[in-house]
This record gives sequence, C-alpha cells and structure tokens, in this order.
Amino acid sequence: MKRCDMALGYLLSIFLILGAGHAQINIDSNEQFHEELVIRPLAGDHVNTYFQFTTRWHYGENESLFHTQLTPRVIAELLQQFDVKELHIGLTQGLWRYETWGYPVVETTGGAEMWAWFNGPNLTDQEVNRQWTQLANVFSGVLCASLNFVDQTNSIAPKYLLRPQFMSGGGDENQSKFIRYSSLPREIVCTENLTPWKKLLPCGSASGFASLLNSAYVHNTKFHSLGLTVRTLCEHPENCVLELTQTANLVYDLRLLEQSTGDFSLRRLFGMGLNGYCELAGSSQIYVQLNEQGQRYQLVPEPTKEIKTTRGGHTVIYGVYDMQKQFEGQGERLFNIAWVTPKGDRKQRLGGGQHQFLIPPPLNVHRYLLGQGQERGRIATELTNNHYEPLPILLQELIPWYVHAYLHTLRIRSRNLQRHEYTNSKKDLPFQVLHYAPGKQRELPTHLEIAFELPPNSAALITIEVDYLLLKWLEYPPDANHGHYIGSAILSTLLPIARNYTAIPIDGHLFEHSFNATRPSYVLSLHTEALIVSLPTPDFSMPYNVICLACTVVALAFGPIHSVATKLIIVERQSAAPKNFLKKIIFKLTKRKSNSQQQQQQTEEDKAIGGTETDIDPTDQRES
Amino acid sequence: MYIKLLCVLLYVGSCLANVDDTSVLPEGFVDATQRSTHTNNWAVLVDASRFWFNYRHVANVLSIYRSVKRLGIPDSQIILMIADDMACNPRNPRPGQVYNNANQHLNVYGDDVEVDYRGYEVTVENFVRLLTGRTQNGTARSKKLLSEAGSNVLIYLTGHGGDGFLKFQDSEEITSQELADGIQQMWEKKRYNELFFMVDTCQAASLYEKFTSPNVLAVASSLVGEDSLSHHVDPSIGVYMIDRYTFYALEFLEKVQPFSKRTIGDFLQVCPKRVCISTVGVRKDLYRRDPNKVLITDFFGAIRPTRVSTDRINVTLANEDDFIVSTAASKKPSFRIIIEPQFPTKFFQLKKLRSM
Repeated sequence: MKRCDMALGYLLSIFLILGAGHAQINIDSNEQFHEELVIRPLAGDHVNTYFQFTTRWHYGENESLFHTQLTPRVIAELLQQFDVKELHIGLTQGLWRYETWGYPVVETTGGAEMWAWFNGPNLTDQEVNRQWTQLANVFSGVLCASLNFVDQTNSIAPKYLLRPQFMSGGGDENQSKFIRYSSLPREIVCTENLTPWKKLLPCGSASGFASLLNSAYVHNTKFHSLGLTVRTLCEHPENCVLELTQTANLVYDLRLLEQSTGDFSLRRLFGMGLNGYCELAGSSQIYVQLNEQGQRYQLVPEPTKEIKTTRGGHTVIYGVYDMQKQFEGQGERLFNIAWVTPKGDRKQRLGGGQHQFLIPPPLNVHRYLLGQGQERGRIATELTNNHYEPLPILLQELIPWYVHAYLHTLRIRSRNLQRHEYTNSKKDLPFQVLHYAPGKQRELPTHLEIAFELPPNSAALITIEVDYLLLKWLEYPPDANHGHYIGSAILSTLLPIARNYTAIPIDGHLFEHSFNATRPSYVLSLHTEALIVSLPTPDFSMPYNVICLACTVVALAFGPIHSVATKLIIVERQSAAPKNFLKKIIFKLTKRKSNSQQQQQQTEEDKAIGGTETDIDPTDQRES
Repeated sequence: MYIKLLCVLLYVGSCLANVDDTSVLPEGFVDATQRSTHTNNWAVLVDASRFWFNYRHVANVLSIYRSVKRLGIPDSQIILMIADDMACNPRNPRPGQVYNNANQHLNVYGDDVEVDYRGYEVTVENFVRLLTGRTQNGTARSKKLLSEAGSNVLIYLTGHGGDGFLKFQDSEEITSQELADGIQQMWEKKRYNELFFMVDTCQAASLYEKFTSPNVLAVASSLVGEDSLSHHVDPSIGVYMIDRYTFYALEFLEKVQPFSKRTIGDFLQVCPKRVCISTVGVRKDLYRRDPNKVLITDFFGAIRPTRVSTDRINVTLANEDDFIVSTAASKKPSFRIIIEPQFPTKFFQLKKLRSM
C-alpha cells in the first residue's frame, strides 16, 4: 500500500516536471525546432517530397548537457560521451537518378552510410577508432540498423573529400581533427528504421509533418532516404549551437499510385491529409515548386504566398503554405493540397508527358564492373561533363578488403562527348592528387582518393583492375551466392552554376536558407551506384558430398576384399540333380512326394554337399 | 522476506505432511507457490530463417511480437531477431507490410515495429550471448536482455529444425544441449523468475528435452519425429503465409485483453491435433505452478495495476531549484558561422576557376 502511494508520488512529480518543462518552451528560445516540407514534381511522372526537421539548441558549457527540451536525449548525451563534433548517417533504399531528377537536397548512397568528425583534447588515433565503433554501436541501437558491423575493416579516414562542417570554437584550432567514414551497401531500410527515427522528433509521429510518414506509403516509393546529421557550432566553449537535422527524401512514381491520372495530392501520396503542425515547432512551412515541372499543375488550395528565388542564375518559384496560419481557424479538419492538371492541358500532357525532361545536369556519374569470371575484374567509373567549362573532380573510393586493387592499373581516359570511343593511353588525364592507402586482408579496406580536371563537354573513364579473394569457409555470409558489395564512390566538384542544385548552403540550416543563396561556386557531391561482385564461392555442400562419396568407395572396396581375404575357395562337387529340364521337373515332383520320408536323409545330404563355398571364419558362422 | 515466508510454510508443510502422512500440501503453501511473483516481463522473439520462401517464419515471429506488444510489453523489453527482411523485400508486392493471412486482415508488421537484431546479426552466437548476458562490449542497450531475478521471460523460436537442433540462416544451428546450457546459465545468473519457452519448428519438442533448469514451462508445435506444418499459401505472393501452430496461437491471443483471466492452461490447448496436424508438446515437470492457474498475461503482457486516487496526496519535492530552471534563461548571443572551404581548390590550377 505504502509502495503504491510512493509510486503515485513519483508519477505526480514526473507530471510536475513535465508541466514545468512545457511552461518554459515559449520562454526559452535557446532551443528551436522547425519543420519543412518541399514538394517538387519531377520529369517523367515522378514527385520528390523532402522533409526536413531541424532542431537547434544554443547551449553553454555551464549548463547541463542532460537538460534538453526539444533535442533528443541520446543526441545530447553524445556530446558528453564522445568527442564527436559532426555526425552524418544516411539510410537509403533505391537509386537517385541524376539525369532525370536533378540533384537532391541531401546526398546519400544506397544502404547505410555514416561518417563523423572527432575533435577534442589529447585524442589519439586508437582512441578515435574506439569511439568510432562505439558510436556506430550506439546508433545501431537507436536506429535499429546493423551499424554495429562498422569497424576497422570497413572504415577509412578520408583525406580531402569530406571537409569538416562544424566549428570547433576559438583557441584550440591546432587540435587535430579526425574523421572516419564507412558504408554498408547491403543494409536494408524499412519500417524498423523509420519508427525510431520518428521518435527522435519532439512531436514524434503524433502531429506535424512526421504524421505523413506512414510506413506503407514511405516504402512503396521508388527512392527513400532517411538522414540524420548532428553538428556543433561553437564560437567559443561557452557559446555553442547543437544542430540536429533529420531529413526524409522520397521519390514517388505517380504511375504506381492507385487510380493514377497524373494528378496527385498529399492524401494520395501519404494516405492521409496533414493533421496540423507540431505545436513545438517555431515554423512549419510547405514549399511547392511552381515552375519547371510544376508548371503543368494547378494547386488546390492556392498557396498563401509565392517566393521567387534566383541562385547562380537559375530561378525557381516556390509556393509557400504556412501551416501555423493555415490551421488557425481550421479546427480539426485534415489539410490537403491537390495538384490538378488544368482540363485543356490534360490531353497534351498525357500525349506528350514523356518529353518533359529537364536540361541534363552539368555532371553525371555511373559505375560498373568490367571483365568476366570470379577471379578478376575492373571497376569502371564514368563521369560526364555537359558544361562548357572544365570541372575540378575529387573522387573517393572505398574498396573492401576482399577485393585487391592494383594501383598501377589506375587510369583516367577521356573522350569528347561527340565521340563514342575513349582515346588511347597516350592521352590519359593527369592526376592532380593521388592518395592511396593500401588495404590489408581482413584488416583494412583500400582507400583511394584522386583529383583531376575534367575537360569541358567530355567524359572520363576511370578504371582500376582488381582481384577477387577466395574467402575462408566461415567468412562467407549465409547467402554467399548473392554476391558481395563494393560501396559507392563519392565524387565532389565545384559547380559554377546552380542549375538543378538544391543543397542547403553550409552556413545555413533550413531549406529557406537556400533561397537566393548565390555563391561564387557550389560544392556538389555525388554518389555512384554500388557494385555487387560474385567472389569465387565454393559449393558448401562439397565436404558432405566428398564424405558420402569416399565412404561409398571404401565400403564398396572393403566388402569384396574382406570377403576374398577371409574365405576359402573349395571346388564344388557335382550335384545329384539332373540337368535336363524335363527330368528336373520329374525329379522335383518325386522329391516333394517323398519329402516327408526323406527329410532326414535330405538334410544330411545337403550338409555333405555343402555350399559352393564353406565358411571357415568362426565369427561368420556365429552370425548366420 | 517472501523467501522466509516460503521457508516457514515449507517447514510447516513438511511437518504437517509427516504428521498426517498424506501428500496434501497445506493451502497456504499451495497459494504462495501458485501466486505469480514476477516484477517485469521480457520477450525474446527469434526468427532464424533467411530467404523469401521462409516468409511464414517472419509472419510467425511478428504475430507473437504484435501480441506481446499489444498486451503491454514495451519495445525496450522485447528483443526481436529477424534473419531476413520480408516487409521491404523487393518480392513483396505490399512494401512495409507482412500479413498472417491471405485475406490481409492483420498486418502483423504494423506501423511501429522495432527490430533489434536483423539480417546477418541473427546468429547462434548472438542469441546465446543475448540469453546469457555476455554481449560484447559496447553493445547497444536495446540489444541486451536486461532481465533480473524477478523477470518473466518469454522465448519464442521459429525456423527450420530437426531432432535436437534449430537451423540459423541455413548456415549454422543451435542444439538442444546448447539451449539448455544457456537457460541453465540464465538461471544461475538470476536472469529470470519464470521462463516460458515456445518453439514452432519441425520436431520442436526435441529442443526442450535437455532442459534441467527450474521454473521453465515449455511448449512445442510438434513432437519428435513429427513435422510442423504451414497453414495456407497466398497465391498473390506465392509463398506460405504462416505456420499452423502460430496461426492458432495468434487467433487465441487476439482475443486476449490486458486484464483477461485466460490462463496459460488455455493457451496450451490452443492447437489440437485436429487443426495442427502435428501434436503440440508440453513440458511441465520443471514448472512448479499449475498452468491452469497462471494468467496468460504473466508471460505475454506486462500489466501494471494502477489505482486512481481522489485523496489528497502530499508530494514533497526534493529541491525545486533542481529541476525548475529560472525562467529568465539568458539568451545566448548569436554568432557568425564560418566553415572551412568544402573543396580543396589548391590542387587545381584552373585558370577559369572562380576563387571561393
């Protein structure tokens, strides 16, 4: 009874604390949360919906890092437990089609990808390795992904490609920064990842834009990607911002939706309308692209305002819905936006919808395997520059330890876009930078970073020859014949124009910060496709087959040899039975008649005649 | 305290038994042993089969997951191991959904599933480490079985089995001896109060034969020498949906509400030979309570009886300053964000390259 009262007391106190927390949220502006949804119709009846949830927490050193209101506890604890200053995790299913969809807001690769920057006093390489694997373990639990497979055998320390996006704060600039990168291309992404990801949001999936992310409607997309980025921005240790950005990037194929007419709506895409906005959010905005592919639709209801943004000479018009204003007088109703094709245009659109491709983006990349057989092959990465200026290219490869790469075979050949053949070896493109960390069997992956200049209006083919390793028996996964993955390469460049470029500038944190954000140049990073190689795979039932076969042979050999070695051969005496067929029958009949009388005599006779062979082994006689 | 009481009762009981020379135990003792004594509930649910044609095993394990979650065990106390991804498998025409029935009434995958071990992580080693609490250093909290002496643990296994073993992912197997050793270690380490072991596989009864640990109740979908059969096929996905035993177990569990008076005894009758085709095996000799008096929610749910009080309750707050931050929280000055260049332009001598 007493215990019960105490429990109730605890409960009450918890409510009181919660109540206190609630009261403060409006006052304390050191923590902010914003939700944004960007909807862009793409070419070829596709729609891109991009969710971004940004939590910013302005904190100082003297405040307890455990005391958070909007930032999830696990993220705040990261700063206490680890020297991590910046962390990126991406979980993606599908392939982003750069040619037809343009560049995405956030870049990810298929499967799981993770990288982190560490910075702190007295950090050593071993310590960073330890923290890195532990960090992966933490997020394997937090996001229900198999990130615990991240370890030294599949992690590298990128040298040039990934640059820090955090501010370490003044004074300790000479502290060395450590980075670790790893990818798990085999990782699947499903509801079990979406659920914990949504739980990190202040409103969970109860209200706000996250309520649109229902598993059945997220996973029937052509491409879906969940992202989580944490970074710290410190002016000095007493004045820091912890920034948590959660992104969900989806591409719907309208032709796969039920009763597809090319029109769509929020309800059609997500299964339900929007039930409001997250009450804890500072802003809840929906941006709808109106020009380019968006031109073919009419919006119902009309957006409250329009924003015209020009970035690097490229103009995009967005319609804006401010959900906090939208729901002011609306009460409990669900909010829906419909994209309707105007009646006159419908015929034309249905007839010629396929032709509405966008101008291809300036840089494109693909990757594939060359060669046949399970022994060796060649990894080929093909880049295409459609732009009229040369582009600086930086490429990073992470080749797993079960694939041996030969550095001396690394070549970059180029061709003009008008030609189909690559030029001969004399005209290879020169490397500006070559960083190579050789792999070690079962310990380290091969890490390769190259930089070169890609001439205008041309393509380049980067090839490197590889050997596939024969693994040990227990190193093969249960589905060994599925093949082994080589993660995607990452490519970085500086674009002079911002056509199809939607990324958020590095010093901003909201999607609206990309509006009118003209810069001298734009850093673009792209991922190639991941590769799947079939390593030499033994027949795992072979030992069993060998044992069966060997046993059979031994048994077959043993029987006759044993019999020959242990039995005596005796010449058979002629039997009394006649040889003629007729006489044989008569003999048998007479024998049966006199059977009862001759029984005694017969057995004696049999004994006397014996078999063709007489056993002399006493054990044999006992058995029979 | 309870142990003392039990000892006294035991003593009195034995005295009485000696005097009366009968095997009837005193009522108080019987009551005390029959009462449930657990403080919390844990569930370890394992699907050990990979590949699309084993869809039914994933549906099996998700059926039990759905039930224990619905009956109140939180996700943090359910360890779900699924060896392959069926919901988002490219062959699944209904992405993100797994059904137990061709009629598609019940999406057992649900909208908020949390899988703790998946894919290649489902190995015999990880399973044994999980049970015995010898997880590797740095394992995430959600991947640990943090049960204690007061926990009732439900272990559910499904997959392809044989006489004395259960296959994990077609590449390794756990034997009944290893399983029994693991559970004995759990008992020695005080990792459970009572354990309900459920297994749906061919020759399932062979898996609990070697058990020697106390307070274990085991049920198996088939006896040694028998196959455990699947229920029906869904032509739209081309594979079997669910196994018979789990299908009827789920049918029963769907009718159980958190405060239901149904007992484990009822649950053991859930699949008679008529519908299961295999014979359901039960092992009760290690279990001290009468299954007919044990509530099903002792294992499949986590019920916290709460009392609503209208009385005045005096709550003493330790120190208000500890958790009420002054409302005049200082607003931090904002600052300019300067990030180093994201592209190493120094390597390129592009004449036309625009400086950053």
